Amino acid sequence: MNPSLKLALVILIALEVSFTQVWTINVALIVVSLVLMLACHVKFKRLAWLTVVPLFFASALVWSLALQGTTTHHFLLVIFTRMFVYVYMGGLFTQTTDPLTLTRSLEQNAKLPSKFAYGFLAAFNLMPKIQAEVATIKAAALMRGQVLHVWSPQLYFKVILAAMNWSDQLAAAMTSHGFVEGAPRTHAVTVAIHPKDWWLFGISLILVQVGLFVGLP
Amino acid sequence: MATVAVHSLTFTYPKRTRPVLDDLTVTFPSGKFSLLTGVSGGGKSTLLKLIAGLTPLPTAGNITFNDQPLAQIAPTQRAATVAMLFQEPSTQFTMDTVTNELRFALENQCVDPAEIPAKVHAALAFIGITDLQDRQLMQLSGGEQQKVALAIIVAMDSDVILLDEPFASIDPPTRLALLGKLMALCTERGKTIILADHDLSNYDQWVDHLAVLDAGKLTLLSPAETQARFAAFTPDKLKLTRVTLPTDQPVVMKGTQLALGHSDRQLVAPQDLTLFAHQATLITGPNGSGKSTLFRALVRLGKYQGLLTYDGNDIQKLPRKQYARSVGLMFQTASSQFLNVTVEEELALSRKFGNQDYFTPERVQGLLTQLNLADHTDQIIYSLSSGQQKKLQLLCMLMMAPAVLLLDEPLKGLDFASIQAVMHILTTAQHDLQLTLIMISHQLSGLDDLITLHLTLADHHLTYKGAQP
Repeated sequence: MNPSLKLALVILIALEVSFTQVWTINVALIVVSLVLMLACHVKFKRLAWLTVVPLFFASALVWSLALQGTTTHHFLLVIFTRMFVYVYMGGLFTQTTDPLTLTRSLEQNAKLPSKFAYGFLAAFNLMPKIQAEVATIKAAALMRGQVLHVWSPQLYFKVILAAMNWSDQLAAAMTSHGFVEGAPRTHAVTVAIHPKDWWLFGISLILVQVGLFVGLP
Repeated sequence: MATVAVHSLTFTYPKRTRPVLDDLTVTFPSGKFSLLTGVSGGGKSTLLKLIAGLTPLPTAGNITFNDQPLAQIAPTQRAATVAMLFQEPSTQFTMDTVTNELRFALENQCVDPAEIPAKVHAALAFIGITDLQDRQLMQLSGGEQQKVALAIIVAMDSDVILLDEPFASIDPPTRLALLGKLMALCTERGKTIILADHDLSNYDQWVDHLAVLDAGKLTLLSPAETQARFAAFTPDKLKLTRVTLPTDQPVVMKGTQLALGHSDRQLVAPQDLTLFAHQATLITGPNGSGKSTLFRALVRLGKYQGLLTYDGNDIQKLPRKQYARSVGLMFQTASSQFLNVTVEEELALSRKFGNQDYFTPERVQGLLTQLNLADHTDQIIYSLSSGQQKKLQLLCMLMMAPAVLLLDEPLKGLDFASIQAVMHILTTAQHDLQLTLIMISHQLSGLDDLITLHLTLADHHLTYKGAQP
């Protein structure tokens, strides 16, 4: 499916689920997301993380609400499943979308200014770099006799400094490769919105509306 | 074809009093190769960045391309007018793969999408790196990244090509190959090329007038003076005469069935490796062969297969803190080493935990003077030039005096005088403290007094070499 439409669909459904209380729809969305993730060969370890982390927070939330004693079982169930809907749909989106295709789609289909589209991509590409940088900083500190912990401000100072440096370098790199803010560009790879994408988008939304309408108390 | 003219350009960085460039006037002729040299921090990078339009000009008319200021050229045509290859290979890309970066550059120039694949292919073929096209940029070695960056400039068809110490981390064969490509761009395609470099080897056949930038002024040397400068870099001055094959020296680190790299790209095939104590070992080998990866493995920053021991103990089982004090790494990128803001703070940290008996305040002051850093102690590290950073980085790691000090390209970006100073300091400290130094360096001039063992990495294998015939 076209990445921009997919993003819009996920956000719309997440919004609707936030303002309605139909747990059956939540469960249906969880099942659909899970099936799609399995169909797209998302790694088991990742799925396990996507399950364990919300399970902990959802359980804690439900537990504290239940202890208060003023909420209904129905509401607890809705809250519990809602948490999973967010995480699974987010997981489905990130695990099945290539960031570069999303960037191109946002630029071409959603008409997002290229500055933001490529800014997003750069931020995404920075993630593994930041992890490597943290390991390097810790090692560099150890070699100088200084132990930096996860809570050491100096570690974050260096990471932020490195990130600021990267942003300058990135701007220079983009400029030297001919990128000019607001200037017209051509597209080597075009990302199209096929009629199939619109149908998928429309039908999914309608199904959720019908479900919510029927399920509303 | 474009002539680059600089008219009475004075440039001062904000909050500094002394100008980096002082009333500079120079013309770089169209279709010619110009070589620029000068001390570290002499303003070479600044001048190139100003020409490239990466640093805003104080007044727009100071630099012109065929009598036209860059600001007057249409945005989409600027990259076709002037392009720059950076000193630091890994920081010049926006996208993930080689092809995507080339596409990005061509899209910015509004090239018709139908023509893009052919242009991408032609540029890669010109540099001879068609096999790299689908590789991840961040997984390429520094030399490969420089080749990709040059291919992008070829694809953009820029009239003026600026190169800021592009060979600083590049092995001699790759350097020669890239120089050949640059000359072809000059002679066959009429490109104007301005290159800044400290290492003046291999330029003698191409450059008549060396441009020297010093204290903000630029002087063009006569052919005789130029050849005199080049003479210091001729091959027989680069020989390592003291190198022997290892015999029964004491062992400091040992690898058993050591292998580097991952399943799809092997760097070092399983082999046994011995590193000797109190020696100065030089490691050479082509770009991307795995030298830096070996260093990262030795300090437990990178993965390896097999067993690595230090003093007979598996390095994975030694306490991290203790091991880090025994085996130190001077990173290839200077900024990775620094933990503080000013030069003084950085030195204070090394003084606090380092070898205080040997590196007394007086000695450190003397070393700072030798390295031309004595006037910079209040300065913020990141505002130092890359050569100054490199020298400070070396001093900070040397003051720690770990039993084994790994040096990854310690001479990168240093001018001739700085190399002499650095090598003198290293040789003295190694002699006095009986340090084990292991050094990766592509730049061989000035190393002869220090180096006693020579390891080469070629065809996935590390071997010791004897003296060169």
